[in-house]
Amino acid sequence: MAIETSVSRPRRTAGWDLSPFAAIAALLAAAPLVAVAILAVSGPLDDYLLHVAQTRLADYLSNSAIVGVTAAVGAGSVGVITAWLVARAHFPGRRFFQWALALPLAVPAYVAAYAWLDLSQGAGPIKSALRDGGIEWLAAALPTVRGPFGAGLIFAFTLYPYVYLLARESFSSQSVDTYDAARTLGYGPVAAFRRTALPMARPAIAAGMALVIMESLADYGAVAHLGAPTLTVGIVRAWAGAGALADAARLALLLAAIALVIFSAERAQRRRARISTLSGRTRPPRRERLHGWTGAGATLLCALPLLIALVIPLARMGWLALEAPAARGLLDAFRHSAILASTTGVLAAGLGLLTAYAVRRGSWFAKASSRLASLGYAAPGAVAAVGVIAVLSLAQSGLDAVWGGVFPILLTSTVLALIFAYLSRFAAAAIGPCESALERVTPALDGAARTLGERPLGVLRRVHWPLVSGGAITAGLIVFVEVLKELPATMILRPFNFDTLAVIAHNYASDERLGQAGAPAFALVLTALLPMIYVARRIVKDSALEDLG
Amino acid sequence: MSLSRSLFLAAVGVTALAACQPAAEERVVNVYTARHYDSDQTVYAAFTEATGIEVNTISAGGDLLIERVRADGERSPADVIVTVDAARLQRAEDAGLFAATDFSQLAESLPANMQEPDGHWIAFTGRTRVIAYSQDRVDPAELGSYEDLADPRWAGRLCMRSSDNVYNQSLLASIIIHRGEEAAEAWARGVVANLARPPSGGDTDQILAIQAGECDASLVNHYYYLRLANSDSADDQATAEAVGLHFPSGSEFGTHVNISGVGIAANAPHPAEAREFIAFLLSDEAQRAFAELTNEFPVTGYDGYDNDLLRGYVTERQDALNVADLGAQTETAQRIFDRAGWP
Repeated sequence: MAIETSVSRPRRTAGWDLSPFAAIAALLAAAPLVAVAILAVSGPLDDYLLHVAQTRLADYLSNSAIVGVTAAVGAGSVGVITAWLVARAHFPGRRFFQWALALPLAVPAYVAAYAWLDLSQGAGPIKSALRDGGIEWLAAALPTVRGPFGAGLIFAFTLYPYVYLLARESFSSQSVDTYDAARTLGYGPVAAFRRTALPMARPAIAAGMALVIMESLADYGAVAHLGAPTLTVGIVRAWAGAGALADAARLALLLAAIALVIFSAERAQRRRARISTLSGRTRPPRRERLHGWTGAGATLLCALPLLIALVIPLARMGWLALEAPAARGLLDAFRHSAILASTTGVLAAGLGLLTAYAVRRGSWFAKASSRLASLGYAAPGAVAAVGVIAVLSLAQSGLDAVWGGVFPILLTSTVLALIFAYLSRFAAAAIGPCESALERVTPALDGAARTLGERPLGVLRRVHWPLVSGGAITAGLIVFVEVLKELPATMILRPFNFDTLAVIAHNYASDERLGQAGAPAFALVLTALLPMIYVARRIVKDSALEDLG
Repeated sequence: MSLSRSLFLAAVGVTALAACQPAAEERVVNVYTARHYDSDQTVYAAFTEATGIEVNTISAGGDLLIERVRADGERSPADVIVTVDAARLQRAEDAGLFAATDFSQLAESLPANMQEPDGHWIAFTGRTRVIAYSQDRVDPAELGSYEDLADPRWAGRLCMRSSDNVYNQSLLASIIIHRGEEAAEAWARGVVANLARPPSGGDTDQILAIQAGECDASLVNHYYYLRLANSDSADDQATAEAVGLHFPSGSEFGTHVNISGVGIAANAPHPAEAREFIAFLLSDEAQRAFAELTNEFPVTGYDGYDNDLLRGYVTERQDALNVADLGAQTETAQRIFDRAGWP
């Protein structure tokens, strides 16, 4: 550790100091949360928080803990197992699964929640059929997907791709020398994995799990529907029921504090694991061939999360859609969704890279602002949207004061307000992957390239980009999909007559018209499919090269 | 500002006439709405057809709409604000978002309890919260008032939606007004003690739970039941047959009714168009669309719609409480739910 920092500090990696710019970008991303904090501090104090503390707070916190832990453990296991199989084994369907396994990310958790509650409840098709078939006891014994455990499982299966994407990247890029050594020394594949590959991938896995926890703690739609009131439900309730925005903001700060703890834990993980990644890549991994039952087992293990998160919910929605009248305005909504998501995805990847570089340069200001930006992810969407409204309204009054109202209203006129909201909310999802990708570029690499006569720009293009592009693209993809699914900010900050697929799907679903929600939900997943296939092909190309090596 | 603007527009108009081109000023109304039903799209289209006024919409939850209009301040483009419950309208009014308007001409046919007394907003559809019950396991004679659901004979027989839901909050607000806080809390505790399972799902899910035998009765908005009953799907029909609706109109204060309501924004750039828009919401054509497409009660007394099941409920006695009074009790209602352990 000590050696590493003393090496990295004097080394000017790219010739320019990016940190002021990146810090400004990160601060911009953090502005809405700061606005929420100001709301929390400046609002009138009454006894509402005391009332909540006396009545529901313990319940909110325990539900949040159960939801978060279930989601993290579930997503962690599913993500790591599937990533390991896809990265290090040959089995039937591997090429398909390596990109398809990322798809559940495109299923909004609330869609999966609506579909699974509908399927598994007493009146659902499964239990009705069992009762009609005279198997009453089985219908009574089968669980219903609801409550904090049910919600946690929904998150585990819709969010595991965070862990999967990051872990697979790590598994397929890490050196296999230690793993091979462990095998040579007589460890079985599982033991060797546990002792070598898993610790090396720990920063990536921790980053993925932190995202899973953040997102499930900040979710409202799924937990509200499944009857698992987490702290986020409490926040929205404080605002919706009592109209106490300041109290909602105060509870939101509590959530942000929890997020801060989780992120710090993740950072600590990352620091501890850094030594191991310093060894660099000497030999690319090779895949073990799984035959017969083992191969079939691997296929099943990879198919299961896809079935649970994607195929079954969408099939149920599709089935209901067949009986329902068609949804309106899908084509326009698709166009809007695609434009918003791709624009924001590209911008977020850039922002993530810049911030990662700034953090790497070690300026405390950049570090602090990137941590702050990461917290935007932990605020419930509706509260974050209020923060954005506050920031834009402030900017507007500034503009009006100077220019006398010649500027159109920031909130209504363009999609810029929306893109700002997305960037501030999903900065964490972009910064994390970029940072962990940049960690593969050791200061020693820069030094070597410069010693060999490469110019700073050349170092960036020929040394850095090949190493970090995977992470940057993953970051862009994650933000792309997040934007496709995002609701509260989209709802309130969009221009007139501007629907997205998520808005349409949610409007029908919240109106308890699951059938009509089916078509836009399908379209949402299909929209995510295209960029995912592109990324997958990149990865296939990369691994083909690695197979040669 | 507006004078110079109209002078400017007049100048533009004259120039345009001189150039033998149609005047380009398009009439619009900007609608901020918490409703997102297909029926509303139908109504907007009919409005544009009838008046030539284009309808721009932004739809989102009521609380977010309020924040946005408030943040935009004097320059907010909002002309009308629509929400799906009286409490939100009241909150928007408290935030000073509505212009006091003389609705007396528009709202001649509206009952007095469907209008905010100072003319800040009025109702345009009615929605009742009623008791859904199992046809197999509940004898209709056994059903009484809302308060009766707290009776121990319902132990383990009730399904309820979360109290996050504004319809539950409004119902409890009405009980607070009629019976006082203590009685309202005792009622909430009684209902919680009778729950068959923790609250989850929407209103339709409660109806389905009754059909599946998970519980015997629940509280739902009438239109979710009517949507099933008026559906072409055989499954929906079967659900509707297994479940009945009971209107507690025989009880002391009648059936609880909430509204979709609308008001003109304080800084509306197009107040005339906003007025025309609200007038259209109360027209027979729009009232018919709401009655037929979303199974909501007309508030104007209009009776020409094609929805016999809905018409069958019109005679049920509705609570005469002014819906504007509900908003003031919502927070208290929520605290009672919190204390009673109704999540």
